[in-house]
Amino acid sequence: MKKILKYSFIFIWSTFVLVPLSWALVTSFKPPAAVNNGATFIPWLQFQPTLDGWKDITGISGYANLFPPLINSATVTFFSTLISLTFGCMAAYGLSRFSYGWKNYKNPDIIFFFISQRIMPPAVLAVPFFILLKTLHLLDTKLGLVLVLTSGLMPIVVWLLVDFFNQLPKEIDEMAMLEGCNPFEAFVRTILPLARPGLTVAGMFAIIFGWNDLFFALVLTFTNVQTLPVAVVALNGTVTPFWTLSASAIFSILPLVGLAFVVERFLSKGGFAGAVR
Amino acid sequence: MKGSTVNLDLRSVSVDTETEVILKDISFKFEPGKIYVLIGRTTSGKTSLMRTIAGLIEPTDGEIHLGEERLDEVPIWDRGIAMVYQQFINYPHRTVLNNVEFPLLRAGVSKADAKAQALAMLEKVGLSEFKDRKPSQLSGGQQQRVAIARALVRNTRVILLDEPLMNLDYKLREQLREEFRTLFKGTADSVTIYATTEPSEALFLGDELLVMHEGRVIQHGKPDFVFENPSSIDVAQIVNDPPMTILDAEIKDGKVNIGNLITFPTPAHLKSEKDGKYKIGTRASEVILGGSESNSEEGTVSLSEVSGSETLLYVKLNVGEVVLQLEGIHDYQIGQAVTISLAPNRIFLFNMDGTLCAAPGN
Amino acid sequence: MSKITFTNIGQSYDKSPDQDTWALKPISMTLDSGKSYALVGPSGCGKTTILNIISGIVTPFQGSVAFDDVDITKLPTAKRNVALVFQFPTIYKSMTVEENLAFPLVCRKWEAAKIKSRVGEIAEQIGISHKLNRSANKLGADEKQLISLGRGLVRDDVTALLMDEPLTVIDPQLKFELRKKIKQIIAGKDITVVYVTHDQYEAMTFADELLVMSLGKLVQRGTPEDLFERPNSKYVGNFIGSPAMNFFKAEVVDGLAKIGGYTLSSSADLKQVADPYLEFGIRPEHIEVHHGSGDNVVTADFFSHDDLGSTRILNCRFGTGVIKVKVARSFEVPNHGPINLKLPKSNLLAYREGLQVL
Repeated sequence: MKKILKYSFIFIWSTFVLVPLSWALVTSFKPPAAVNNGATFIPWLQFQPTLDGWKDITGISGYANLFPPLINSATVTFFSTLISLTFGCMAAYGLSRFSYGWKNYKNPDIIFFFISQRIMPPAVLAVPFFILLKTLHLLDTKLGLVLVLTSGLMPIVVWLLVDFFNQLPKEIDEMAMLEGCNPFEAFVRTILPLARPGLTVAGMFAIIFGWNDLFFALVLTFTNVQTLPVAVVALNGTVTPFWTLSASAIFSILPLVGLAFVVERFLSKGGFAGAVR
Repeated sequence: MKGSTVNLDLRSVSVDTETEVILKDISFKFEPGKIYVLIGRTTSGKTSLMRTIAGLIEPTDGEIHLGEERLDEVPIWDRGIAMVYQQFINYPHRTVLNNVEFPLLRAGVSKADAKAQALAMLEKVGLSEFKDRKPSQLSGGQQQRVAIARALVRNTRVILLDEPLMNLDYKLREQLREEFRTLFKGTADSVTIYATTEPSEALFLGDELLVMHEGRVIQHGKPDFVFENPSSIDVAQIVNDPPMTILDAEIKDGKVNIGNLITFPTPAHLKSEKDGKYKIGTRASEVILGGSESNSEEGTVSLSEVSGSETLLYVKLNVGEVVLQLEGIHDYQIGQAVTISLAPNRIFLFNMDGTLCAAPGN
Repeated sequence: MSKITFTNIGQSYDKSPDQDTWALKPISMTLDSGKSYALVGPSGCGKTTILNIISGIVTPFQGSVAFDDVDITKLPTAKRNVALVFQFPTIYKSMTVEENLAFPLVCRKWEAAKIKSRVGEIAEQIGISHKLNRSANKLGADEKQLISLGRGLVRDDVTALLMDEPLTVIDPQLKFELRKKIKQIIAGKDITVVYVTHDQYEAMTFADELLVMSLGKLVQRGTPEDLFERPNSKYVGNFIGSPAMNFFKAEVVDGLAKIGGYTLSSSADLKQVADPYLEFGIRPEHIEVHHGSGDNVVTADFFSHDDLGSTRILNCRFGTGVIKVKVARSFEVPNHGPINLKLPKSNLLAYREGLQVL
């Protein structure tokens, strides 16, 4: 009885989560008739699948091409993640190993200050960022967007990694220094290799947040730099058919799904093993 | 890097923070080729002293010299000092061999030489067959051996060992202690400093003993001399395991009275002491079970402990708690009544301020 | 307060038919009510498996376990009324010390007044009365472990107290104090205690009886004194005692041991033994330095000594090996060179293939 209850709960929840996704997937292959004449779900049985929707978004039919936005998104996400990981892990290491501060404000307060930047709703920051980028002539450029995204990703990276570094015994870096490494070498040669799992997790978060950012991209870029979420939303705003919209939605999450599979394999292959006992 | 025969010279080294004094005015000259044992309780400053020598703590006052060099002005990574921690610290992501090679490679030794030297050192500590494992795949004793191999392989001028056996069980401690003596004897060019809380390790390994208490060195000398002639009650407690039992006593009219029940004629080594109030100390191994009526008191066992091949009895008397060490393993129940007496010729006499008055000698 | 009986209990995690691979080879034994037992041995020897079978965390592959002759092999842990203390303190971090101690009673729906008095009683015993209102999370590891113990003992129907390496995460410096405290707490209770450890010190200090385990087998069971005086195997001789027992090989002729021109009589009856070569063991504490000759006196080559504080170890070459002799500090150390040692007959034990010959 307990088991039935348990499984039915799991079933209901999975349905709730999976149905919209699978519906979108199915819809992206539908011909107009299968959408307009009432709900249909099963390809080949209820309708003959077509690639029309996919042709619409890949530039083949000439309707829209999501590849340039994809490349924009990838570039912006890659660089903002790279910058936030590079400097974020250094900041996190510093905060984990040395003590900074002024009067009563010590490391934990600094860390809170970092993460507090994420408390503010992005809408509040939109106007200041807009003016800032305009002054710097960085509006509608990739560099401008990378900088703004980095300012949002860095706190997450620092916050995640400080905790991770705190778990690595301090004695390991001390020993590296005793054995001839200066502090920077100790960090690069002994702490970073041990921090791989932490860096992976932090990087994953940064990529997801960066990839899915709609708000800043919408406000701070216009025509030159259109990211994928912006492009998808733009399709939504026009008279785009449902199958094309569905295809664009699936298209925009595919790269992340692929990445998730790779990372999952890395982690299960022992990316974590042997790091910390 | 071949070490040269140079002294490690501490000159009035002090470390303090805003709130507490960590090390207080420590001056000592360490010579190469000897094992110096720092003994003291947990927070006595042993670790801080080692970390100060290594450069992990900056002294607030004083100077550290290594030969001609002003060591406290050299950054950690250029000091050429090896350290072994109480916890088994190795690089978890490197194999055993790579762990031992690492300090050599950092010191600029060629890859081939580093490997040869690391392998030879692993052979010495008995870990050759584990060279390709990761440290986490080894037992605690083996992990500590890797750490020691890493410290010894560079042949540094100073080797610091901070309670390296503390986290091992007693059979392994016994075994490694013996290995240490042969391992460290081969380091004639190095100053070896070894911190411990265990008197038996200090006596077993040490050429020279430094007793630390509350951030100071309160006595130093040959281990057995310090053991026989502790300069104060603190030293006597620290260099005896179990700690020396200290009781209030009075010398009066040619008699030593401890409480109302234990009393005996003043023994020869205390004859010259004036009448008055004192504190007496007695080693657990020299307390006697049973005894004559005038010189004994009956008490109850509050705990019996077995350590290795000895039984320790904690006996509650009216005059205080006495620890008694019996050879062999015996069965005593908590609450059991036992009679205790003291060996008059084995009594240590201390002034009321804790300084030594007279020791029984050996 | 329960007698615990194992009947032909064996445990195999992969259910292999080959008993040699089992984590615990079939064992039958009885642990008497109200006594304390230490299961001691290196990791992987099966000691934790025995504890888990008693607690019900593991259901044995074969055999049955009974409390006071009532079979409880299939009973879940919660219904066995055992108190468990693990390596890591199990406390509720969000609660105060008092709430932690009261929790098992609250779960049993005791009256508030009764809980209060019972918790007070237990807090007194574990010496934590003055910290009842503190947050449990703020205490040191040793105090947390005491609370884990207190929570186990607070119920009045506990049949057995089971402890699995409870001192592992305690700082070495605090171990002694905590060991003392736990021992004193247990001593005041009429409760069956089973204590698992790899540390011989802990085992000998805690237990009325030790169960020495190796490779899934019970090697020897007895009081600390039994194990010290009469180790039934070389394993126990090495495992218990500091330094370990001395062993040397000797030829057996007419029931006597012959080595290097000396003839030694031992406690064993060697007339029946067919092997011409046996190993003989004697504790360093049992060897006497002797002047002149006599029965069971041999001459060895004294070459070094170690200072251990209250005792000294004399290292002497004898036969092809080294014999260690433990003497009191007051003993005057002779010059290096020949030394006469008496190996008392009653303490000289014989071993064949690692096992004692009686």
